Amino acid sequence: MPLLKIDGKEIEIKSGTTVLQAAEANGIEIPYYCYHPALEIVGSCRMCLVQVEGMPKLQVSCNTFVSDVSSDRKVDGKYDMVVHTQNDLVVQERKNILEFLLLNHPLDCSVCDQAGECYLQDYSFKFGNAHSRFDENKRVRPNEFLGSQIVINHNRCIMCSQCVRFTQEISGTSELFVEARGYNSKIAVLEDNPLDNLLAGNVADICPVGALLSTDYIHKNRIWNLKKQPSVCQDCSVGCNVDVFSQTDQILRLTARENLDVNGYFMCDIGRYGFHRYEEIDRVLQPMVRKGDSFVSADWETAIQKTIDLIKKNKSNTAGIVSPFHTNESNFLLGQIFKDVLGSLPPITGEEITYPSGFRISADRSPNTRGMNDICEGIVEDLASKIKTQDIRTLFILDDGVDRKLDDKWKKIIGKMDSVIVLSYAMTDLAKLAHVVLPGHAPLEREGTITNDKGRIQWLRPSLPVKVESKPDWEILMLVRNALDKKTEHFVELGEVMKKMGEKFENYAGITFFKVGNQGYSINGKSS
Amino acid sequence: MATIVKSYEPTFWDKLYLPALMRGLIVTFRHFFRKNVTIQYPDQKHIPPEGYRGLHRLNKYPEGRIKCVACEMCSAACPADCIHIIPGPSPWDGGKERYPVRFDIDLLRCIFCGFCEMACPEEAIELTEIYDFSDYTRDDLVIDKEGLLEVYDLTKDQNYYTKKNLSKASSVNTSIDT
Ligand code: SF4
Ligand code: SF4
Ligand code: FES
Repeated sequence: MPLLKIDGKEIEIKSGTTVLQAAEANGIEIPYYCYHPALEIVGSCRMCLVQVEGMPKLQVSCNTFVSDVSSDRKVDGKYDMVVHTQNDLVVQERKNILEFLLLNHPLDCSVCDQAGECYLQDYSFKFGNAHSRFDENKRVRPNEFLGSQIVINHNRCIMCSQCVRFTQEISGTSELFVEARGYNSKIAVLEDNPLDNLLAGNVADICPVGALLSTDYIHKNRIWNLKKQPSVCQDCSVGCNVDVFSQTDQILRLTARENLDVNGYFMCDIGRYGFHRYEEIDRVLQPMVRKGDSFVSADWETAIQKTIDLIKKNKSNTAGIVSPFHTNESNFLLGQIFKDVLGSLPPITGEEITYPSGFRISADRSPNTRGMNDICEGIVEDLASKIKTQDIRTLFILDDGVDRKLDDKWKKIIGKMDSVIVLSYAMTDLAKLAHVVLPGHAPLEREGTITNDKGRIQWLRPSLPVKVESKPDWEILMLVRNALDKKTEHFVELGEVMKKMGEKFENYAGITFFKVGNQGYSINGKSS
Repeated sequence: MATIVKSYEPTFWDKLYLPALMRGLIVTFRHFFRKNVTIQYPDQKHIPPEGYRGLHRLNKYPEGRIKCVACEMCSAACPADCIHIIPGPSPWDGGKERYPVRFDIDLLRCIFCGFCEMACPEEAIELTEIYDFSDYTRDDLVIDKEGLLEVYDLTKDQNYYTKKNLSKASSVNTSIDT
């Protein structure tokens, strides 16, 4: 393996890595704009210049590869390469590059949505000049829409071309290109081919400056006001890792979080903008009990008691319906209560899309189908006919939430029941048919584990504060279970439910939040 | 070692109380002929010195556009965390694409440190000389954007208390430079 010396630090690293990667892996900072680990190297921004001994000019570290050299060419008899990232020449060069990049930049940080997470700001502060010597008029261009959700502010663009490479290599749709040359170059789209693919939102994320903006977040807030919560997207069974940005009880935006075993660095727009559908819903925030044609709110004790009464009335003719939208823990607890008949409603599907880079949007638009099937033994295939043959009179349903549109067949089946208990966060079609509605947590408030279609257990973390009287789903189910059977164990926290689950299902043995962590844990014991 | 403290025995003159009374009255009469230090507030208003940090205002350009661009630098700098801004795309043309849809300052929380004024990159927020803005409820002491712009109109070219015109130099009406 080649031996490298960067700023006096000896580093041994695989031949074929770049100097930039070697430095980054060893905690040495080299600033860069155009390099992105998932994209082709172009070396166009020149921010990553370093000095390599024996080379006449400064080198772009993102495109300089480390390799073994013959022994007579080794520096000091042992180093294959000696690199300086902090000497006067490099420091001065960085200043110059930044001055170039900022020549036409409007310096409008006060109205720019990238402010606070902008690499121009950070690097200017750390490596740049305090003043510009540019006296001429700046080049000014109006903002343009590149697609329905993406706006470009040309003045702020530094031409790193990450967005162009993204559409070429990751989405494979090639909408973006660099128009014209030199001083006149700019990012453009053809009029009849706007940037409207399902991965378009990512270009706003990868843009290191505030040039590409999502219309969904523009002028909405400032980044330092927002709370950032690592979590998992719940809009398809891939389970992309995301960061959820919220302020008090409002979600402002979602961005992709790096997880090479699941989604790489990106996410799709279905998940990115999906949180809006929870905004204007008819939330249930108190237990509701049916009185004739309408509901009256009740306290938890009454509601649970009512639930127990309804279940006990036809104990042997009761079925539980689990949901691929709920966590493993909730499904597990429901499965433990209704061991005899357990089913789920028909799956919610969409179009399966796979991009050339391998990025996937799954046809299964629920996050936890795999986990539900793993955790609930004996889910009946055809629930509708089972209900008929077994003469089921009572249903306890974990509601799929706002995505579930009940068809007439199911409306009829559920309408015919003696009693229906629904655990839901909103007054959905299903909840409207219920006799008791138990208010649980909405998708972005939930905590627990979900398992993606490749068998990776991931930690779903609550991004919003708990509302009024709603309780965590697992806690409601535990209350019901305890009330039905006084002898069952009482869990005080989610970890205990997970432990219990692990005892029952080998694949889930030993799972803890700590073990699952930010990157998830594969059931197969290796990365999937 | 114990000390024996002798208590003071008032003399005849002391018991008369007259000399002490006279001495007190001398002080009173001396001040009677001096200049007052108190004023007859509220009939008479205290004029704060220049640079006094009182009620905030939000400045406008002569064209009427609010100077603030809702960058939230002031709310970030505010140690009392009393500035609440909701930004939005600005309805005016030409540069400065952002403006505050709502701009609330909780005057009860504010400690009048003036950090907001120092942090503002647009010279949009300023503290004025106004100090008497008491009210009956807590809610009424949260001043909103309209209120802050009103304060600007009250103080832009005259001192709020003396009603004296401000000299041209200290008025802040530069025009939009984008
Ligand atoms: S004067 Fe100080 S405390 Fe008051 S609003 Fe400004 S920054 Fe906040
Ligand atoms: S008053 Fe100044 S600092 Fe505060 S948001 Fe407006 S422009 Fe920014
Ligand atoms: S990161 Fe190396 S040239 Fe841009």
